[in-house]
Formats: sequence, C-alpha cells, structure tokens
Amino acid sequence: MAGRVSSLGRPAGPTSLAQLGIAFALLAVLAVLPPLGLGIYWQGVVITSLYLAMLALNWNLLSGYTGLFSLAPAGFAMLGAYVTALLWTYAGVGPLFGIAAGALFSALVGLIVGVLTLRLAGPYLALTTLALAEILRVIALNSFDITRGEIGLEVPALFAHQTTYYYVFMAVVAAMLLGLHWLLGRPCGLYLRAIRNDETGARARGVRTVFWKVFAFTVSSGLSGFAGALFAHYVIIVSPSIGHLLVTGLVISMVVIGGMGTVVGPLIGALLVNGGSEYLRAAGDYHHIVFPILVILFARFCREGIAGRVAVLFHARRGRIRGRREAPLAEAREAAAS
Amino acid sequence: MLATMLVSGLISGVFYALMALGLTMIFGVLRIVNFAHGEFYMIGGFVYVLLYYGAGVPIWVALPAAVVAGALLGWIVEKLLIRPVYADFGSWRQGRDEYAIIVTFGLSLLLVAAMTKIVGPWSLQGPRLIEGRPLLILGLRIAPHQLAALAVAAVFLLGTLAMLNYTLWGRQIRAVAQNRFCAAVMGVDVAKVSTLVFAVAGGLAALAGALLSNMISPSPDVGAFPAIKSYVIIVLGGLGSPLGALLGGLMLGAIESLGALYISFGYRDTYGLALLILVLLLRPQGLFGELRREV
Repeated sequence: MAGRVSSLGRPAGPTSLAQLGIAFALLAVLAVLPPLGLGIYWQGVVITSLYLAMLALNWNLLSGYTGLFSLAPAGFAMLGAYVTALLWTYAGVGPLFGIAAGALFSALVGLIVGVLTLRLAGPYLALTTLALAEILRVIALNSFDITRGEIGLEVPALFAHQTTYYYVFMAVVAAMLLGLHWLLGRPCGLYLRAIRNDETGARARGVRTVFWKVFAFTVSSGLSGFAGALFAHYVIIVSPSIGHLLVTGLVISMVVIGGMGTVVGPLIGALLVNGGSEYLRAAGDYHHIVFPILVILFARFCREGIAGRVAVLFHARRGRIRGRREAPLAEAREAAAS
Repeated sequence: MLATMLVSGLISGVFYALMALGLTMIFGVLRIVNFAHGEFYMIGGFVYVLLYYGAGVPIWVALPAAVVAGALLGWIVEKLLIRPVYADFGSWRQGRDEYAIIVTFGLSLLLVAAMTKIVGPWSLQGPRLIEGRPLLILGLRIAPHQLAALAVAAVFLLGTLAMLNYTLWGRQIRAVAQNRFCAAVMGVDVAKVSTLVFAVAGGLAALAGALLSNMISPSPDVGAFPAIKSYVIIVLGGLGSPLGALLGGLMLGAIESLGALYISFGYRDTYGLALLILVLLLRPQGLFGELRREV
C-alpha cells in the first residue's frame, strides 16, 4: 500500500500522517485566532464549522472509507440533541450525561438500521436513512405536547464563555481526527477500505464485511449523535431544524468538495463551505444554490476533492504514481471480464 | 368508516404509484436511485400552477405542459448528469453508486433552492380540473375534480404499464433491465433507453405533482414526502418491478389510511417508515423482487 494511489485516485496509507499534520496546522491557526481578536460573531461561525466538520468526518468514515452512503448525518445529530433535551426537560438529567445518552442512543438506532439494511446489497441504506431522517423530523415537529414542535426545547449551556466552546469543539475535532487516523492504521481500517474498493473481493478474502459495515455505521451514527447533543448545549435550543435535509446537504458538500476518503478533506471542506456560506448568505442567500452546483461539478470532474487532488499532485511529483498508471489497465481488464 | 378510509387510501395510492413507477423503472434500467425524484413532482406542480395563474393558459394545456416539462427535465438530467454512470466509469462499481447518490441528491437540493429563489418559499394552490358538486361514492364524498385527477392518473399508470408490456420501447426497456450487456449486443440502443426511462419517469412524477396541486399546494420543498413514500414503495414492491410499484403504492395508501383511522392522523406520514422496516426485516427482496446472491 505504501504510497500507492487506489484506482479511484484516492491516496491511501502513509499520506494519512501528512494529512493529519496539515489538519493540526489548520486547527493551530484557528486556535490562535481568538487571542488575536477574532470577534464573537466569527467565533460563532468557526464553532458551527467545527460542529459540521464533526458530522463531515463521520460521514467521510462511511462514504470515503467504507463506501456506505447515509443520508442522515443531520438526522442522527438531531436524534442525539433531542435525547439530551428530553432527558433534561423531563428527568432533569444534566448535560454531560445527556450528551453521553444522546451518543449511545444514536449508536443504538444506527446499529438497528445497520443490521436491517447492510446485510443487503443495493441502495437500501441510503433509502432507509433518508426516510428515517425526514420522518424523525416530522415526529419532532408534530409531537407538540412533548417537543414543543418548531419552538423547540431549551437546554442549559455547558460553558459560560463562547471562547470555551471554541476550544472544546476544536479539541473534539482533533480527537476525532486522531481517532480516524488510529482506526485507519489498525487492521479494521484496512477491512473498511477493502470493503469500499471491492466488497465481494474482501469477503472472499475472509473479511466479515457485514459486521464491519454495521460497525462503521454504528460508530458514525453514535459520533454524529454525540456532535448533535454537544451542539445542542451550545445553541441552547433544540428544534427540528438541526435535522433538516439541508444540513445533510451541507455535510455532503463539505466532504465531496474537501475530499472523500482523505483525513483532512472534511475539515477543509467544512471551513470552506461554512465560511463561504456566510459570504454568500450576505450576498443574497445564494449558498443553497452554489454548493449543490459545486458538489455536482466536483463529483463529475474532481472526484478526489481538494485534498485528494493535492495529494495526487504531490505523489505525482515524487514519481510514486505507479498505482495510477496501472489503473486504466486494470479497468480495461475488469470491463472485459464483466 | 373503514370502507371510506380504505377507498380514500387507495386513491392516494394511485398517485403514489405514479411516482414510484418511474422511480422503479429508473432503478431497473440504470441500477441507481434517483434522489431528485421529488423535485420532478415539485416542478410539475409549479409549471401547472404558474402556467394557469401566471400565463392564463387553460387547464387542458397547462396539464400536458407540466408533463412535458417533467419529461424534458428528466431528459436533460439524464444526458448531462446520469450518462457518466454507464458511459465513463465502465467498471467502477463502487464509484458508480457513489456518483449517482451524490449527484442526484445534490440535484435535488439545487432544484429546491433554485425554485425557492425563483418563486419564493410559499406554496401556491393549483386550480381544479373540473367544477361540480361532490358525488357520494361508497359513502365517500368525492369532488368531481378529485375523480377527474384520479382518472387521469389511472390512465397514465395503466398506459405506462401497457407501454412496458406491449410496445417496442417497452420491450427494449425490459430487455435492458434484465441484462444491459446482452441487450446492447442484441442491438438495443442502451443510452437511448436510459434517456427514455428518465424522461418517462420525470413526466409521470410531474403529472402527479400537477394533479395533486389542488389538494397539496406545491411549495419548493413539497417533493420530499412524495419522494420518500415512493422509496418505501419501490422497496416494498421489489426494486425494479413495475407491477410491484403499482401494488406497493396502493398498499402504502391503504396502510396510511388505516393507520390514520386506528392509530393517529397526525403521524400518517410515519407509517411508511414502519412498513419499510417490516419489509427489510421480513422480505427484503420486496413483493415482486427476486432474491439474488451476488457472486
């Protein structure tokens, strides 16, 4: 695997360490901004970006590394947020336990959905998660007696100062990046990537594909629920808008633009897309139009995203592009076989 | 009461089937799910309403125009965005599904946002097809315009099924759905069939949007729930099975009505999810799908 580029043009293996370095350099730049005088408003923008980066990192673990497509990252975040909000409102459970419960409950729902859909080949996961996300949102909207519908439930703040949130969110993103890097180095990281590249082949080589797919989906759902619950205690109000499909759309655009299957891509994408949204919103609400167009263009013409493209160029310069040169041949062979 | 609710459920089922039939045809031919299907529905509704109120066009012109607009959109989308699924990527099995999901989902967000920008986030109620006093059928009060909408939907539904079964185009579509490679070898223009399927699916979804625009006023995000229901239906009926889409649509309509009657009206839209979970648990291949083991 050393320095190879997979047939999808995505770097694998040791580049992950270099990317981790870039990601931490980015976080370091963000870390010095508040003392240098970053205003409250822009701190808020960065905090939201970091929250979306958490969702993007989890979605990337699914789509970029395991080849699974969930359309419910925002749905699971909303689930986690509602668990902590409901526990606080009706049982007086504090934020820390609430967040833990939100993460566990989302993981549990993820486990059930995963077991139901991932033993089947086909688009069942995407279909089921889309239905789940929208229907959970409708339940939250319509159960006015319990959730107060669109008005939302109030939850207590975790910290007194916004700057504290800023650094906590940053630490969580850093921890998720480290966790992803660690996971990719384990055998299980190889299993996941093997499943993405060729599921049948992976199964033939003895990888328990269904188990690892369900594992990846459960972990990703749980962490999305955790991110949502954490975010709930920052915005202090939990409403169905947390789980809107537009949020899922944002998360997907972050990963696709930043680079699917790269460690640093989702973070770059989150900062670019959320930062760009601020400007485009001021220019007249164009962000909901511009980013879907970018997603389609990236999916069509630059599938490896920004981070992936940079990594490919980097490898090409160092003359280590063997895998890339083999790719057309392998493709021709496969086409002949099918 | 039971019979009344059942009939009204079956009526909505006909419209669900209209959406699901196109979706399942796309899946049969291209092996992808069109996540922008709800937006074809939305576009159909808006074209119908805006032509009628904005341009003063009579209904019998506005309705076909909506269908043509949906078909045209499907045709363009297939040519511009879906073609790479089978033209460029060749053997990219994983890359193919990935591309299709991202592109159609992105397209869905784009169409909703663009429509919000053009007409605003409001909903516009469409005109009735015909005027008249409500009729009493099986204890159910049905307005003539609802009956007319139902009739048009049923004609198109049965017409499409007949097209699939008895015409050259239909035979070509079924051939490509059975075996793409073999159909191509036998001289079927696979690319043309794919475009055709997308255009037909777009037209059917747009027709559903236009016919329902009086009962469910179109707004830019109106397509989400019809689309989700058609996803449930195609899984229920078996992915790629036209007959499954028809029966699945009727079943979902009936189940929603009965759930509304016996459980709760407010959560009507959620029964589809329960049904989806049951199908995945008990009969994942759907009613008419075949169980296949991948080699």
